[in-house]
Amino acid sequence: MGQDSKLSGRRDFLKGAATVAAVGALGASTLFKSCSRGRTTAVMPEFLDQAPDGRVLKAGIIGCGYRAIGAAINFLNAGNGLEVTALGDVFENRLNHCRQELNERFDVEIADENCFIGFDAYEKVIDSDVDIVILATPPFFRPLHFEAAVRARKHVFMEKPVAVDPVGARSIMASARMADAAGLKVVTGTQRRHQRDYLSTYAHIKNGIIGDIVGANCYWNQSRLWHVNRQQGWDDMTAMLRDWVNWCWLSGDHIVEQHMHNIDVINWFTGKHPVKAVGFGARHRRITGDQYDFFSVDYIYDDKTHMHSMCRQIDECSNNVSEYIVGTEGASNCQNTIINHKGETIWSFEYPLDEEGQPSRREMKSPYDQEIINLVDAIRSNKPLNEAEACAVSTMVAIMGRISAYTGQEVTWEQMMNSGMRLGPSEPAFGPVNIRAEIPVPGSA
Amino acid sequence: MLSRIKNFLLPKKRRFSTLFLYGFFLGIIFIILFSRVMDYTSTDEFCMSCHVHPHAEDAWRLSTHYDNPSGVVTHCVECHLPPKGTFRHYTAKAVTGARDVYGLIFKDPDNINWEAKRHISEAVKHTYEESCISCHQNLFPLQLTEEGMHAHLYYEDNIDDLNCLNCHLHVGHYSEHAQEMIDFGFDQIAEEPEYVYESSAIVVEFEKYTETIPETDVAFDMLPIPGGRFMIGSPEKEPGRDEDEGPTREVELSPFFMSEIEVSWEMYMAFFRETMSEGRLDHGSHVSHEDTGNELDAITGPTPPWGSPDQGWGYGDRPAITMTWHAANTFCKWLSQKTGKPYRLPTEAEWEFAARGGTDSPYFFEGNPRDFTRQRFFNRLFGADTTNINSYVIYDENSYSRTQSPDAVRPNQYGLRNMLGNVWEFCSDYYAEDAYAEYPGGQVIRDPQGPAHGNERVIRGGSFNSDAYEVRSASRSHTRHDAWLITDPQIPKSIWWYSDVFDVGFRVVMDWPPEQE
Repeated sequence: MGQDSKLSGRRDFLKGAATVAAVGALGASTLFKSCSRGRTTAVMPEFLDQAPDGRVLKAGIIGCGYRAIGAAINFLNAGNGLEVTALGDVFENRLNHCRQELNERFDVEIADENCFIGFDAYEKVIDSDVDIVILATPPFFRPLHFEAAVRARKHVFMEKPVAVDPVGARSIMASARMADAAGLKVVTGTQRRHQRDYLSTYAHIKNGIIGDIVGANCYWNQSRLWHVNRQQGWDDMTAMLRDWVNWCWLSGDHIVEQHMHNIDVINWFTGKHPVKAVGFGARHRRITGDQYDFFSVDYIYDDKTHMHSMCRQIDECSNNVSEYIVGTEGASNCQNTIINHKGETIWSFEYPLDEEGQPSRREMKSPYDQEIINLVDAIRSNKPLNEAEACAVSTMVAIMGRISAYTGQEVTWEQMMNSGMRLGPSEPAFGPVNIRAEIPVPGSA
Repeated sequence: MLSRIKNFLLPKKRRFSTLFLYGFFLGIIFIILFSRVMDYTSTDEFCMSCHVHPHAEDAWRLSTHYDNPSGVVTHCVECHLPPKGTFRHYTAKAVTGARDVYGLIFKDPDNINWEAKRHISEAVKHTYEESCISCHQNLFPLQLTEEGMHAHLYYEDNIDDLNCLNCHLHVGHYSEHAQEMIDFGFDQIAEEPEYVYESSAIVVEFEKYTETIPETDVAFDMLPIPGGRFMIGSPEKEPGRDEDEGPTREVELSPFFMSEIEVSWEMYMAFFRETMSEGRLDHGSHVSHEDTGNELDAITGPTPPWGSPDQGWGYGDRPAITMTWHAANTFCKWLSQKTGKPYRLPTEAEWEFAARGGTDSPYFFEGNPRDFTRQRFFNRLFGADTTNINSYVIYDENSYSRTQSPDAVRPNQYGLRNMLGNVWEFCSDYYAEDAYAEYPGGQVIRDPQGPAHGNERVIRGGSFNSDAYEVRSASRSHTRHDAWLITDPQIPKSIWWYSDVFDVGFRVVMDWPPEQE
């Protein structure tokens, strides 16, 4: 029966994103334990403040912007025996800046022969005898870079989102399964899954403190993001890459690029993903690029649970970055507070105390540090940790909302899994890019 | 003396424990013998010792499961039984063994359609997916191509609908045809014709004409089908009748022309050659397979198919198969554009009227479906006199599990061949189980077009896979769009070619007198 149960186990495993999401969470540490009645009970993972010692791990960075520098700092702070040994970017000034920062802060010396410039820099970084690659380019490049890293059997830290289109999201899913088969560890920059307050709240909700989940909201409403005007002498590609958060083919639009974090939290807490979306959005304030300024999407899960997602990047408006989840017995902000239906707090997370004896979030280990600590721990202690598929699912959900808003049509998960949509040039290179700043008009597709 | 032996073997004291000891040793001997028998009957030599399918052995030795760079040989029982050590392994072995012994004694191996057993629909019955998976545990190995990764992702996400064999049918037994499918270039068989017709046929009278497709070497006969009244559907007492064939309704049809034969590969290739789209159009996720479009000026035709669509049975005048309804409909538009005549798919009523050839019996020839069907135990046991049906219909009893040339059968009263059998034929109507009930009773329905909306189209006439019940004039069925595309690994799936149905084609009709558009 061994093989039979193995096969059916595999099938069950593959069936739901529910499991996928749970596996992603598992990475943080042992989150589930079976209790005597056979029911699964979520328990608080044990948090490490520092990665355990072990063999030296060398990291190469692909995409040397500010996020890469941040991730490199998190990595070098995570424990002993951690090195950054290679850098790659398409822009020399970006690479030099990163190299200089790491040198000033950590005395890291990266040899000239390990610094690579160009659209093929990723291959050279991967080939430069590193153990881990940090993927921090604009998300357009992620599927290509992730597949190459997995084929080269490298552990990966990659930033969310992991794709900008359905073909890319599915590519990540396939590479994720190859990474699983090869025993690679992958963390995806969805750092709320490594944040102690979120994880505690998750454990309580998973154990039924608010009953069955019946609805959810999530928000990423903030001021406008940066933009970069085209300068004289820049070709199309240079201008777009420098201004990447304003171009859909590079960032996926901000519902994918930013708001996907909050969508991911709801997917994680519900253990599934929406099966369809109806959304709208528009552009009023942006200066460059082809993206919208706001989205509002009604997501529907297979049990008819609705999630309302909204995101906005406009100045002088009410801001809010959070999640809210409602159950039959109560509700929660997913982060630190659980209330009953009378509005009474029935549980709240106890933050560590600061010097003045006050509970403070700042005293909690930063989730950006924690996610890298967990990655290094998983590698050195050989614990399962691969968040790529869960992140691809949440990325796909965000893309589904974007397409619905752009077209005005209802879009289903099945359509996404069968869509041939692929954005951007097939072989990115400096020079002209045949993409115009056309703003999508709903109802015209 | 006897009692002494008995006392020696079974002492009165400890009789029970002695018995237990004997049982224990007998058990061990049994297990050893059982295991020996299992091993002996599980060798490749044992499987091949009956010499009933030497071709299977030859094909296996040529396959990647025997001859591969790693030198690992996969043995018969490793695919044709569930994995060793599972309970199902032993039950399946017992059942398979009993069936093989029965076959060896009572069947003539020369009469077994071995090739049909290699078809996916049969192959899944004697190959075990859990056995594939028990060896191929890693579906995402390093050497897997990008296409392979996407295909295996699709497989894992649709694991209940797909079997390993959907894509890897010939890995255990080599097939020249499979190799052809891999090397396949559809344009290679769509050769430039040596001579071409300059103009299409001119039709002035309501009588048989030969259509010639300009700029091709293809000609085919069109037969006049006089208009008139008939009862559509079957009476409730008709043997083999399904619920959707009633209630019967009186229908009146205008005259029309119908092609003598099902659209042949020769005809379909001419269309393909002229309209083939080079790459796959990116329709995004919102294209519907029902998108019929009306842009006649530039007809975009099929993309190259995946593998060879004739299934290795041959092209020529055999009916074209595996095209989607959309492709068949596009063929009609192309043909209309080429010839200046309004060709189209028949309505369901036109189809049945033409198939009946003026009769109201189950078939257009003499015979009772009860006498021909294999669904009756009596017929299975004692055989049936199928001489008559055999001369008119290609169905599961005489088809060798493949399409046949139209010459293989006699025509019906209107001169039409293969109306019943050979391949199912697309009609223009949407399918509804209660389509006839929706027509008002007690009055004559003129030129019915079927339901106004629907998801699947009507197919009629049965095929080479059908039982005698299914090849009756009134028998109805319908397309199964999603199921017929389940193996297609492309995303989005083809709108031109089905991957999982091999017995559906179509024929064309033309209105008379042709209305000016």
